[in-house]
Amino acid sequence: MYIVKNALISIIRNKGRNLLIGIIIVVIACSTTITLAIRSSAKSLINSYENSYDVEATIGINRENMKEVMRPNGEGSEEPPEKPEESTSMNMTDIFRDASNLTISDIENYGDSEYVKDYYYQVSIGVNSSTITAASMESENFDEENTFGGRPNGGRRGDFQNISASDFTLIGYSSLSAMEEFVSGKYKISEGEISSDLESTSCIINSELATLNDIEVGDEITVVDPDNEENTLTLTVTGIFEEVSDTDNQMGMFTSSINTIITNVEVTSMLQEKNEEMNSSLTPTFILTDKSVIDDFEEELKEKGLNEYLSVSTNLDEIEGATETISNVNTFATTFLVITLIIGGVVLFVINMINIRERKYEIGVYRTIGMKKSTLTLQFILELFIVSFVALMIGAGFGAVSSVPVSNYLLENEIESSSEKIENINQNFGGKPDVGGDRGFEKVNGVATVQAFDSIDAAVNVKVLLQLLAIGIGLTLVSSLAAMISIQKFSPLTILKERS
Amino acid sequence: MKTEKENKEILTLENVSYRYSDADKNDYVLRNINYSFELGKIYAIKGKSGSGKTTLLSLISGLETKYEGNIEYNGKSLKKMDLDLYRNTYIGIVFQSYNLLPHLTASENIILSMEISKVKVKDKKKKALELMKKVGLSECFEHRRVLKLSGGEQQRIAIARSMSYHPLVLLADEPTGNLDKETEDEILNIFKELAHKENKCVIIVTHSKNVCDNADVVYELKKNKIEKHELSEK
Repeated sequence: MYIVKNALISIIRNKGRNLLIGIIIVVIACSTTITLAIRSSAKSLINSYENSYDVEATIGINRENMKEVMRPNGEGSEEPPEKPEESTSMNMTDIFRDASNLTISDIENYGDSEYVKDYYYQVSIGVNSSTITAASMESENFDEENTFGGRPNGGRRGDFQNISASDFTLIGYSSLSAMEEFVSGKYKISEGEISSDLESTSCIINSELATLNDIEVGDEITVVDPDNEENTLTLTVTGIFEEVSDTDNQMGMFTSSINTIITNVEVTSMLQEKNEEMNSSLTPTFILTDKSVIDDFEEELKEKGLNEYLSVSTNLDEIEGATETISNVNTFATTFLVITLIIGGVVLFVINMINIRERKYEIGVYRTIGMKKSTLTLQFILELFIVSFVALMIGAGFGAVSSVPVSNYLLENEIESSSEKIENINQNFGGKPDVGGDRGFEKVNGVATVQAFDSIDAAVNVKVLLQLLAIGIGLTLVSSLAAMISIQKFSPLTILKERS
Repeated sequence: MKTEKENKEILTLENVSYRYSDADKNDYVLRNINYSFELGKIYAIKGKSGSGKTTLLSLISGLETKYEGNIEYNGKSLKKMDLDLYRNTYIGIVFQSYNLLPHLTASENIILSMEISKVKVKDKKKKALELMKKVGLSECFEHRRVLKLSGGEQQRIAIARSMSYHPLVLLADEPTGNLDKETEDEILNIFKELAHKENKCVIIVTHSKNVCDNADVVYELKKNKIEKHELSEK
């Protein structure tokens, strides 16, 4: 069509005017590209975080509901008791016992859900030993804490039964992924390794306990049921761990995990099989498919008979907290983008208004020799679009050059920290390469390996370019409004009279 | 639509009146104008400044549409015609100030008119050069930007442009107003050739006695006592 040729001629022969528009669009495109790239990188980082950290749900006491019971005239008690304090205390104990009476079959039942990707659990039981001596904890003042989720003997969240009457705490894990202390770096294997065979009668013990009893890797220890001395089990020590940080017990002689023996759930089951009344606590962890299913999962557990004094808690706050900074960058980039586009759009509109006034005579001549308004409008838009497109490409080029290092800097930091994290976890587990266990090598307790962040050069990608093109078309149309309005409004006769 | 062979009247004005939109109700610039223009003749329209000559040309060219009465081209009312098509196909307009596109060259201005009118010409560039030659401009003007041409040369380009799509009617508003006597004569010879040899209807609005002397018919717009405008044949 001749208007394309005409538009090109007009652009080439009016360089000054088009250069000015071009420079403005280059600046807009450049800042827009950087902003879009940062947004894109920020989003990919957030996605990486969300993919890296699984949403974990666990079951714990619902303290709000418990408080209702503690109130003498609360909704929890229908009739006011004669001796409120004693009655409340009894109620609390009963409720607590009922609530904490979770079984493995309960966990398996809860884990059998479309919202659950995977689940694991740990069982803590109190045992004595006929072959080793426990470290004396008389000076350690944590027995009172031991009830209601205290952390004696390196106890974990949800250890809501008193198992301190015994010398040792035997903790059985259903999966290596469940060993949170090793993942977080609290415990670290200093000698030997954790047996990956989760059915073997093996264990790992604290290095202080090992020193105290002169135990080495390969030695055997015998654990004894405190209530039934005939119920014993001999375990082979495959590894010795150190408690790296002990924030709970900084003033103690020993680390709080000194009397902790770590094994698998098969071992704890063997002891419990012979004594069903054995005191134990069960802590489940469910890996959910997505953060959006948390409410549905909790609802499902209630339908499956979850005790009303128990509730589901997740690590969602922790995950969202980790991405908060990146989210702020994303929000800032979006705000900056909007402001740039508004200012850019207004500047382009004003410049085009001035240009159109300058080209009024041209419009008059075109209309006088019979060019249709629509054709003329199309030609003017085409001119602006060609200039915009070229300027957008140049601006995108500048933007890409500037934005890639910035975006990649953010990603590089993330990769670095993720790599370090994986390396540390491997070291904590005694250098074992397949700590992912049954959950695969890609993730270890919710922390992804570096492969998940392999999008470092995708800062200015096809999506960003398409967004930029859409913005360019939008800006062209907005700034063309001046031309469209003028062409519709101007009478050729008036223009030519003014010219004369 | 009638053919020119059946009726040589190509343009007809019936009771055409016009007043500016902001003028008083009875303050007409043109009132009850009745006339017709035929093919093969040069018409000169003269009158004092403000008598409505250019306004009449604007009405005939379809640039002004808010008038009373009726203007017909070849038997069809302008009010019912696509005026863009009318201007880019049936009539050619030559202005006193040439009204060429300054960013285009001489030949590009002529070619653009052919493209807008969608007239079927195989080689538009060749046709443009032929027209330039016809109006007395050699090929060396082909690539010259119009702003680098003299007034007479620009006017010749404007005439060539208006002829490029073979319109039957050529309207010229003071086409020689800015030109010297010699150039005026050359332009008038082009108009004469168009009217007498190519059977076009050439209507020229002018103050020039020389133009009137060379026209076949001269009409004078007068504002009489009853403010009625008339066209009187020479």
